[in-house]
Amino acid sequence: MKNNILIEINNLTKIYLKGREPALDELNLDIYNGEIFGLLGPNGAGKTTTISILCNLISSTDGYCKINGYQVQKDFKHIKHFIGVVSQDIALYQLLTAYENLFYFGSMYDLPRKELKENIDYFLEKMGLFKVKNEKIKHFSSGMKRRVNLIAGILHKPWLVFLDEPTVGIDVQSRMVIIDYLKELNLKGVTLMYSSHMLDEAEKFCTRIAILDYGKLLAIGTPAELIEQYNEHCANLEDVFLNLTGRHVRD
Amino acid sequence: MRKLLASIQKEYRILIRDIGGLSLMFIMPLVLVFIITILQERTYQTIGETRVPVILIDNDLDSVGAAFSQGVKDNRFFEVTLICGADSVQMVETRDDVATGKYQMGIIIPEGTTGSIRNRVVALVQQQVPAMMNVDTANLKQSVQVDLFFDPITKESFRNIIKSNLREFSSKIETRIVFITYSRIIDAMIQQTTNIEYPEAPVIEFDESYVCEFGQKDMPSSVQHNVPAWTLFAMFFICIPLSSNIIKERYDGCLDRLKTMPVSYITVMLGKLLMFLAVTMMQAAVIVMVGIWIIPLAGLPQLQLGSNFAGFIIITISAGLAATGFGIMIGSIGKTYMQASTFGAVSTVILAALGGVWIPLYVMSPAMRQISQLSPMNWGIQGYYEYFLRDAAFTNMLPYAFKLIAFFIGCILIVYFYKKYIRQ
Repeated sequence: MKNNILIEINNLTKIYLKGREPALDELNLDIYNGEIFGLLGPNGAGKTTTISILCNLISSTDGYCKINGYQVQKDFKHIKHFIGVVSQDIALYQLLTAYENLFYFGSMYDLPRKELKENIDYFLEKMGLFKVKNEKIKHFSSGMKRRVNLIAGILHKPWLVFLDEPTVGIDVQSRMVIIDYLKELNLKGVTLMYSSHMLDEAEKFCTRIAILDYGKLLAIGTPAELIEQYNEHCANLEDVFLNLTGRHVRD
Repeated sequence: MRKLLASIQKEYRILIRDIGGLSLMFIMPLVLVFIITILQERTYQTIGETRVPVILIDNDLDSVGAAFSQGVKDNRFFEVTLICGADSVQMVETRDDVATGKYQMGIIIPEGTTGSIRNRVVALVQQQVPAMMNVDTANLKQSVQVDLFFDPITKESFRNIIKSNLREFSSKIETRIVFITYSRIIDAMIQQTTNIEYPEAPVIEFDESYVCEFGQKDMPSSVQHNVPAWTLFAMFFICIPLSSNIIKERYDGCLDRLKTMPVSYITVMLGKLLMFLAVTMMQAAVIVMVGIWIIPLAGLPQLQLGSNFAGFIIITISAGLAATGFGIMIGSIGKTYMQASTFGAVSTVILAALGGVWIPLYVMSPAMRQISQLSPMNWGIQGYYEYFLRDAAFTNMLPYAFKLIAFFIGCILIVYFYKKYIRQ
């Protein structure tokens, strides 16, 4: 597996404002092909910053990261073609219908028109949204919006997907649909990098987890390994998380 | 190309579903063109085009009174209400009507005016003719006092113009009596009746027109100024929906999503630019059509087009580019909708005021005219004046088009360097 590194993060540091604490502090991580890699941590731990740097949305202050051998800041134009990004925000046009949103974002990948339409219909059907495909996004519930948001990130069938809290703020049913489909994707060989606050979900879903706090890597391993490592005090991942990050409230 | 077409299609769909934005871009400027044109119409008209309500009391009831009344009636300055032979109560009422603004001016031709003038003229003529020596010198000193009373708000310049016109009438009447008196004397001397009529038509006629490069055009009206001026205002006002569109895309995360996709930022922005440029073209077409076909229905003058339509197109495209570039700049630099919409609205109004949208350039002071040259709307208006007022050649419009295109390029360069700075 170690020969199969897909994402290589090396001494990655991000300082948003000079004089402030770093959002990422010399982070080192390797993520392998075919993994469902979970990035966990309290608010301000550096999860979104890590994903934003990997998606070239912000630049790092120091260090570097590579995806499939391409350096993110230099060769992102090559990376764009095989990654999918599912952001924490509902990154959709509210005045467009679900179909129009997906058609627009799908058009950016040079997929043949017929294939694009088939993909849209397939994913809408899969996510239980086919019947409402011609309704405007602004009329959708949070769960429906999240599902369309997910489809927009995977429509072009990428083999690496970044998911930044993809199930936040939705009901159990919608969450199940999303998680089940992501597992299905992973079974097809798609690597998923996932960040969340939902520890029970992460414990069941992820093949490997990294716990961050204050931009530093605190622990890394499979959920079972992490629980095993803190066996004396911890019965589940949530206990491990609290053990590592403490119980005080974060901003 | 497919990505660009998809971007244009997306912008089109968002635009047509944004009723507020559409009304801001189309209905607001049309309403403004109508209201401002109607409001400015009176100000725009010269004194010769405005008919002043006048009340004329003819107590003379003779030929001078009749000629004077006819002269005032025939004059395009006045809208005359004539009272023949008013009593003292009517005289007081007339003064009250002028005082309350019902009439801007009252004229009273006193009783015996014809007799007095005739006596004076006859005495004057008799002095010249040796055969008739019975000159009544008392008649030579006779004068007639015509009472004029004005609404208190009447301007001094206006009163002077009116008095000058009335003097012109009285001179005409006096000249005619002199002519008739001389005619009679000559007829008596030669013992023949010549029956020569006094020629009413003036010897000197004035033919007024504004000189254009390729001929003569009608006098400019408020429509000729307001239609192009408010077209430019409408074009630049799209900076509000355009900047809001950019900021919303950024805030919703759509722009970040697009950044992770194999599409360039330039393609995304080009989609917006082309869509909003098309909107500005439509705005210009709609407002000009309204100027040609709808405004005349409201009793206002029709918009007169120039002959170099290519010049109109090049100015419209350049102004559209300048406006969209300005909107892209505000949307790219602005942090929030509130910031962008406030700055967009205020800056558009300031550029419009400086550029001569509200007040035509030729009414401005020389200093303000210099300052106004800094506004891109000034360049647009100057370009449109070349087309609508001066009917100038295509090449005369090009310098203004180049300035507008340079403004567009400037805005895009600012965005480019700002993004580069932010990225670093």
